[in-house]
Amino acid sequence: MKKYLTLLFLCIISFAKLEAAEAIIVVANTSDKSIQLSRQQVRNLFMGGVIPYNLDAIALPPENQTRVLFNTKVVGLTEARIQSYWAQMRFTGRKRAPKEVDNESSVLEYLENNIDAIGYLPGDISIPDNLTVVYTIR
Amino acid sequence: MIKRIFHFVSASCIIFLSCAPVVQAEDEDKLEFSGFARVIMGYLDDNNAEYIYYDNSVSFDQQSLIGFQADYQLNDDFSVTGQVVGHTGSQRDSGLEWLYLTFKPNNAFQVKLGKQRIPFFNYSDSLDVGFAYPWLTLPQQFYDTSFFSTFEGVLANYEFARNDWVINYEGYWGYYDDEFRSGSRTVDTKITGLFGINTTLAYKQFSLRASYNQGNVALGLPEASQFGELIGQLGFSNNANWLNPDGPIEFYQFSANYENLDYFVRSEVVDIVGKSGLTPDVNSFYVSLGYNFYPYTAYISYSKRDVKFKHIPNEIPYAVSPQLDQIAATYDFILSQFRDENVNGSKIGIRWDWRSNVALKAELTLVRANGQVSNDSALRDLGNFDGRAVLYQLGIDWVF
Repeated sequence: MKKYLTLLFLCIISFAKLEAAEAIIVVANTSDKSIQLSRQQVRNLFMGGVIPYNLDAIALPPENQTRVLFNTKVVGLTEARIQSYWAQMRFTGRKRAPKEVDNESSVLEYLENNIDAIGYLPGDISIPDNLTVVYTIR
Repeated sequence: MIKRIFHFVSASCIIFLSCAPVVQAEDEDKLEFSGFARVIMGYLDDNNAEYIYYDNSVSFDQQSLIGFQADYQLNDDFSVTGQVVGHTGSQRDSGLEWLYLTFKPNNAFQVKLGKQRIPFFNYSDSLDVGFAYPWLTLPQQFYDTSFFSTFEGVLANYEFARNDWVINYEGYWGYYDDEFRSGSRTVDTKITGLFGINTTLAYKQFSLRASYNQGNVALGLPEASQFGELIGQLGFSNNANWLNPDGPIEFYQFSANYENLDYFVRSEVVDIVGKSGLTPDVNSFYVSLGYNFYPYTAYISYSKRDVKFKHIPNEIPYAVSPQLDQIAATYDFILSQFRDENVNGSKIGIRWDWRSNVALKAELTLVRANGQVSNDSALRDLGNFDGRAVLYQLGIDWVF
């Protein structure tokens, strides 16, 4: 019986870990700690659209796994479609793609150093107190 | 006066962009270079026709092109952008396509002043950026109509969000003074009072776009004008008016699109109404379905174009005098040069996003003409064309 309970416990732990690894959080350096965004607002913000808050999005590079998860869960478009969208926006002078930084730790560093910056990160990353999680998707 | 202002802005933009490399060392972030290119191979399986200038031989030099863009940020609110495009195809002039000053005080609002592409339809201002659309060639029965590619003037854009809706309004005003090529013809064209408004509504994965554009067109067709004056003096005023190449033109466009991780549906419809006899009414649309299996996208599309001239009966009587016979025959000949046309195109193709900035494409287009071919659009009858041809294309699109 004890064996089965241990096995069950291990299963729960591993599923919980898997879920945390697949979760995406959107983190901002903002003085207003009460901000909570909807999925649509996050999508708009990272696709160059407007939202009621003055936040500057930063992104990860195209091959990054967190970016792939963010595209799938939040934007709802393939990387190819997102790249073609930004090509159209750039060469028609409408919008500019978010600034890209190399990896997740660079995102955290950038967010800490830039007020009103906002970026997405994996759900299991630890966030410093001065940053705010404004959206979570599992 | 207005022209002078736009020329002044254009000249200022050139000066800023040419001085920018000197400033680059001081602040590299202010100046950015980027570009796009496409190499397209095409082959038409028909000896008796041309389609988008492809004939019955393998050709690389119809749609291949390269474009460079420079953006210079003057300060937080103002920037200057220039874009030059080099075309291999003889039907398009190479050179400066965009040169404008942007005022963008916030994310929601921007104004651009200078030389720009006219945003008639969804892809009118990004025709050359093949990487921006899934097809190898845009549905020609629709995009053949976006002939006035650039204008000089002002364009303003305002965007706001309400709940899950994003609403974008855009308006522009300016003029066009250049040649345009319509099939086998090259016509000097001036458009004054050119303006348009469009709105895009986006809700989750859906988007809708509607636009209205209009302008007063003056076509450089001196033979038609002179002959029109002659028959006007003879009292055949209806026929004379029909030959007047000047008059307003209006475009009504509507587009509906849906896309998610797996599928897309894109569609556009336009109704072009020309008020002068020599400007036809054009109805065209396309609908395209695509399936994504990243890094590939497979698609099909169907497009149709219906061109109708408002021909009026010949008032000039035959068999009254030899001179009148000649004039009547000339009128009938001119009429016969402005022919109605009904053409459709069906596409099947695949896009492979090989790298995040490089896409390889293969496409097969079946183009069919119902009845006569006017030779004023992408499809040309070289003699004895049976109204059906297949275009095979391979291409590579990249951005840098």
